[in-house]
Amino acid sequence: MTENTPNLRWAYMDHWRVDSPQGYVSQYSSIERLDSFLKQVASLGFEAIETFDFHLPVLIDLFGSLPNARAFMQERGIDRVLSLFFGIMFDDRQTQPHLRSTHDNILRYAEYVVKSAAGLGVENLIVMPAAQYHAVEPVSDDKLRACAEVWSRVGKMTLEHGIRTVCHHEFYCGIHHLEELRKFYSYADPRYVFWYCDTAQHKIAGVDPVSLYLELHDRCGGFHLKDTHHVDLLGDYRQRPESEVTARTTRRWFWEMGTPEGLVDFENLFKAMKEHGYKGWVSVEHDKADFGGNYPESTAVASWYIQNVLKKIYR
Amino acid sequence: MSTKPDIRWGYAFNQWKQGWQGFARVEDHIRAFKATSAAGFHQIELTAFPGPWDPVGRPESIAINFGSVRKFAMQLPDWGIDRVSSVFLDVGQLSFEDLHFGLLPTQRGQHEAIFRQARLHAESIAEMGGECLVVAPFPHFWKEGALNAERMQAAADCWNAVGAMTKSLGLHTVLHLDALSALRTTAELDQLLSLCDASCVNLAFDTAELTIAGHDVVALYRRYHERVRHFHFKDALAVDTLGEYQLPHAERAMILAGGERKIPRWFGELGTGLVDFPGLLAAMNELGFNGLVIVESDKGPAPVMSSVLLNSWYLQHVLKVLPRPL
Repeated sequence: MTENTPNLRWAYMDHWRVDSPQGYVSQYSSIERLDSFLKQVASLGFEAIETFDFHLPVLIDLFGSLPNARAFMQERGIDRVLSLFFGIMFDDRQTQPHLRSTHDNILRYAEYVVKSAAGLGVENLIVMPAAQYHAVEPVSDDKLRACAEVWSRVGKMTLEHGIRTVCHHEFYCGIHHLEELRKFYSYADPRYVFWYCDTAQHKIAGVDPVSLYLELHDRCGGFHLKDTHHVDLLGDYRQRPESEVTARTTRRWFWEMGTPEGLVDFENLFKAMKEHGYKGWVSVEHDKADFGGNYPESTAVASWYIQNVLKKIYR
Repeated sequence: MSTKPDIRWGYAFNQWKQGWQGFARVEDHIRAFKATSAAGFHQIELTAFPGPWDPVGRPESIAINFGSVRKFAMQLPDWGIDRVSSVFLDVGQLSFEDLHFGLLPTQRGQHEAIFRQARLHAESIAEMGGECLVVAPFPHFWKEGALNAERMQAAADCWNAVGAMTKSLGLHTVLHLDALSALRTTAELDQLLSLCDASCVNLAFDTAELTIAGHDVVALYRRYHERVRHFHFKDALAVDTLGEYQLPHAERAMILAGGERKIPRWFGELGTGLVDFPGLLAAMNELGFNGLVIVESDKGPAPVMSSVLLNSWYLQHVLKVLPRPL
């Protein structure tokens, strides 16, 4: 690697939808819409996308196979699907990380997903390591240990398929307070369980993502860079049925990097990454950017922020 | 003999303004500057726009919203834009501030008002470090019908006066022919160019507009390359095969309503339509084009940014003239 070789490569976590004559639809609904989506993301310099595991069948449907789908992406400047978000159905009867009785099911389901993903170049299986807070509380040490146990088992299995298990802590996740995070990572096997730093989610939860990175940098498997304008001061994380979309205080939690009201300290995060020599992929995520905005514009503004602010600190 | 090409890429800013009172806030403009810059475009072409609802539509508006024209130009690099390269002025559009409902360059009695308006914008362009005033040289066909020698001469005189003025400011005047223009044929174009001062009045080729009007843009460029100083790059999705440029109010009846065939969209992103951009770029390089190429979205579907990004992708991955941003 030469001095000029960048340490960071940029990926994009995909939540897009598109306007169409048939309404507001998924970009996975046709090859033409996927083509347009990939070109737009690639035009801003992103080299990979991240998406949800439930998009695997439609990629096969559209292209015949996942290697064909990857080739289609590569022709447009997108090298791979870097990560799959594990769409686990949190349910006490079947798949609930804090309930040991469901761990075998979780492991089987995760194995099915990683085996199904072959051919896309996937490197990470992103998981929310516990159900929503209201479904887990009271969050006891034993429940945290149970979660750590299952993701350690899953992480060992995924690594055998060349894929890391990385944990992503939504602000309403059963593991989101600082003490819960510290205990969870102390219980989880560091060989198999990695931390995915979602900057907005931690900030909303009242945890400074920069300080957390300084604590967990050796466990860090990647980032979802997004911003927020609000910290959850009133316990919205307990809101049923789902805090991200039904919280009474806040209609839109997530914003792209580069808005004046943003609360995440991205500049110091990048200084910390530089200090600890982070190398690898960094992802930008825009979750629900269409609540009063649109994905292409938010993505362009975030790319501007990377080009004009973050790359000057660390690249 | 051809010279070494020097192509300066920019993006038009007109697609952001939708409706009279939309996109009127400074912060929305700053966001759009950043988004345009992120897509790899660091020069922009503004469109002259009347009224109080466009912070960059007129020099007075720029001063009210940004402090002064000079200060605005100094601030632009903070948002990733190196400069305003040019301004598009259609004197056929109404202007509250200039007290008219649209002027005709073919009518000598209106030349003084056209000159005044052109000078206002030209001085602003010069102050912002730009290089071109882009103008619509003729009325649309439906307003006066076909050109005759008298109207052709009058328009040429009008633009020669404007050209001399812009030359004194270090700028160039370029004439932008659109699909509805009264000027239709190469014979008329030959005549126009013979009447215009080549030292200060030349052509802006709009790839989509000329294609819709039935021209082969590559062949047309090869024929007139010595007088082409400016491009608007956008694709054309259909040709006006029915001659609907002659319809009354063709801006609405043909362009917006789609004419008899109900064409849903005349303009498209680069590479999606009828224009041979690789062939055109090859000709521009071969013939040593030196000037601005302004990519345009122009009336695309929402969201506005999608069109900018798709055009950027085409320039990066097909024409290979823009670097990857990250």
